[in-house]
Amino acid sequence: MSNVIANRVKEFLKRFPPFSFLTEEALGEVSQGVVIRYFGKDELLFSKGDPAQPYFFVLKEGSISLVDYIEQEEKIVEVCDEGDVFGVLALLGKRPYRLTAKTLEDSLLYAIPVASFDKILTENSRVALYFAAGFASGQVVVRTDLSQSQRARTEFSEISKDNGLLIFTGQSDLNFSKDVLTCGPELTIQQAAKKMADTGVGSIVIVNETNHPLGIITDKDLRNRLVAQGKSFETPVTELMTSPVLTKKKDALFSELYLTMIKFRLHHLIFTEDGTDQSPVVGILSDHDILLSQGNSPAVLIHALMNTWEISEMGKLRDRAEKLLFYYLENEVSMDFVANIITEINDIIIQRIIQLTQRKLADEYPGMEQVKFCFLSLGSEGREEQLLRTDLDNAIVFEDVVQEKLERTQAYFLRLGEEVVEGLLCCGFQACPADMMANNIRWCQPLAQWKQYFSDWILTPSQKAVLHATIFFDFRPIYGTKSLAEEMSQHIYEEIGEKKIFLNFLAKNALLNPPPLGFFRNFIVEKSGEQKDKFDIKLRAMMPLTDIARLLVLSHRVIGVNNTYKRFEKLIELEPNHTELMQEAGKAYEILMRMRAIEGLKNNSSGRYISPEALGKLQRQLLKNTFSPIDELQKMIKVRFQTDFFAG
Amino acid sequence: MGIFDFLFSSPHKKAEFIAAYEAGFGQKIPASRGLSFLPFVVLDTETTGLEPKTDYILSFGAVKLRGFQINMQESLEWYLRTPARSREAIEVHEILQPGELIDLQAFGEQFLTYIGNSILVGHHVGFDLEMLTKALKPFGFRKFLNPVLDTHSLAVRLEKGPHYDSSMGKPGEYSLDSLCERYQITLDDRHTAAGDAYLTAQLLMKLLKLAEKKGIRSYGELIR
Repeated sequence: MSNVIANRVKEFLKRFPPFSFLTEEALGEVSQGVVIRYFGKDELLFSKGDPAQPYFFVLKEGSISLVDYIEQEEKIVEVCDEGDVFGVLALLGKRPYRLTAKTLEDSLLYAIPVASFDKILTENSRVALYFAAGFASGQVVVRTDLSQSQRARTEFSEISKDNGLLIFTGQSDLNFSKDVLTCGPELTIQQAAKKMADTGVGSIVIVNETNHPLGIITDKDLRNRLVAQGKSFETPVTELMTSPVLTKKKDALFSELYLTMIKFRLHHLIFTEDGTDQSPVVGILSDHDILLSQGNSPAVLIHALMNTWEISEMGKLRDRAEKLLFYYLENEVSMDFVANIITEINDIIIQRIIQLTQRKLADEYPGMEQVKFCFLSLGSEGREEQLLRTDLDNAIVFEDVVQEKLERTQAYFLRLGEEVVEGLLCCGFQACPADMMANNIRWCQPLAQWKQYFSDWILTPSQKAVLHATIFFDFRPIYGTKSLAEEMSQHIYEEIGEKKIFLNFLAKNALLNPPPLGFFRNFIVEKSGEQKDKFDIKLRAMMPLTDIARLLVLSHRVIGVNNTYKRFEKLIELEPNHTELMQEAGKAYEILMRMRAIEGLKNNSSGRYISPEALGKLQRQLLKNTFSPIDELQKMIKVRFQTDFFAG
Repeated sequence: MGIFDFLFSSPHKKAEFIAAYEAGFGQKIPASRGLSFLPFVVLDTETTGLEPKTDYILSFGAVKLRGFQINMQESLEWYLRTPARSREAIEVHEILQPGELIDLQAFGEQFLTYIGNSILVGHHVGFDLEMLTKALKPFGFRKFLNPVLDTHSLAVRLEKGPHYDSSMGKPGEYSLDSLCERYQITLDDRHTAAGDAYLTAQLLMKLLKLAEKKGIRSYGELIR
């Protein structure tokens, strides 16, 4: 037995699940049992109905298609690429193969003897779980069941530190003062106060001759215990100080420090060498330090946003929210929570900028503050799904005014729209390339005109109308008079009831981007240009789901549910017979959002174009798995809305 | 192995395992046998130098290949107990203090049992076989009776045709490294006997597939 070669095999296997979950020792054993097989192009590995071989396979290089034959017709079910595990039915016992495996190019395979895996399956629950998900689907370990893969992923992902919801940001962010102002117990309170005034600090620690802390005096003590009590300035510090003092080691866990301060209502915590008051003072932590260290907690960010009228400051705070976002995504915090926080922060920014602008324009446009209006977010922000500061889509609706006032009113709101959009650009948001923003006169209109727009799109649907509909139907009121937005919704609701053909148009649109299933290596990548060989996660995976969710929810005449996964949740209620599919779709969308956001944050981009090569095996499989609910939903829509018979 | 070597070879007494090896060649592989039924042993040695007269084998690695399949359990790697270890060779091969050393007789016995009457394959395999012959000589070994296939010559033959004069080509064009690169085999563990044997085995698999495409489908057509 050669260790060099076995190591080679081992190094390869350990890059891929489920082998990545094995111990070094178990992996070594598995590697030594491997049989390396080489096949030329178009060779058969096994055929449907063949009895299972005592091996399952891992593709080392090349590519292999798994084919089903339905009524003599060949259908590629899956294309395996490097690291894919297939033929796992062998692990279940002597079941015949359900698919035919054929090489698409010269391929090198590792055949893993079932015998060497039986033990691992019983001992290693992660591996068992990994396979369990795959068994349901048959040949390849492709987890169509997204809940399983999600569970698997959570178990596998290494959560290095449990930082809660970033209430505690970790030690590195904690700044405390190492220069502690101290004095001996023999000083008078006035001498101590002088020291504090000279150094400009709010507290002084009284120490003995070996620098052990005896007590502390703060600004507050001077006020409450000295001045208010009418005591003499000659009072010794020992009479005024708080003693004994609470001490900690400076490398204590932040959460411990924080909780101690909260529990004892402390404004200052003294660090000593060994953490007791029987050792020298080495530092002091103030509640102000604590507050600063929490800089990225949602509450602090929101609080800070509420306290600034500086747009540049808002931009900085939004940057900090991005850090928070990245942390949440990496730590698998629920998407619902993450999206809520980020949406809240975005909304506050928009609201503040609107208020700011209103004040700014008040003198120039007197009386306009009386006109009711509503600022709407559209598209992904409207759906509460905009994690990254990608395209802005927004609009303004204002109440119908008499004809002679219309021009001036519109001019005012257009100015408002312009200023708000400019403000948002300063905060790092990107302009909408199609100009679907409140600074465009088309999208800054009175209620009557908006109703007219929606009527036109619904009653005489065209390609362009449908495109508009997909963006404008997901509107959400951000600021102003909400009833205006509600009236728009009501209007849409009534119009759709009249004209069902519009839904067929929407259905047709939802089918424009078929899921990239069954293609070579399972990803349709861009053929040329800057994004060559990248996968367009927005167009190919997210948009179909968004479109389908909108269509189905509208077809049930449900309005007011904008968020894609909330729409799928609603659909579980509305179509209980499709519960499982709707659940999967919702989860798929969540996974895609998370993936896109992480990609975007890592590369400082919109995250839209993902390089499949750069994804980890598990990530790639997760991404692939999201295609299957898309596929099923599109099939359903084809039948339900008769899109094949509808020329649209 | 010239005829004079045979005439003047020292009269070593033939060990039992040598006789057993020789007895294994009663039957020849039929010329019509298909490539995927042929037993190959792909081997490589690391030596103290390039001079068979004065240098020694430091380590030996081999892989069995049959039906386009390598069984990990049948791969092996041995470090030999040799009389001398040159400093330069150690620097090239980085074989400093291998765990377990096998003495020459045990090596000879296990090695000949392992190869049996398989087709011996290597890259510039002539040199390895010469070194091995010398190592086994004290036990009365005269020469290898196995059919031999050199991946170097096979690659040249498949790429340039049977009548190509390899001295015409670019130097290094058919080195193991450049062939691995050309046939997209990841270069790992180069300059360990087992690593090189494994690389050569992967190369052999690819060359055999190529041979099949070019109409070389049987033992007779492969070994000429």
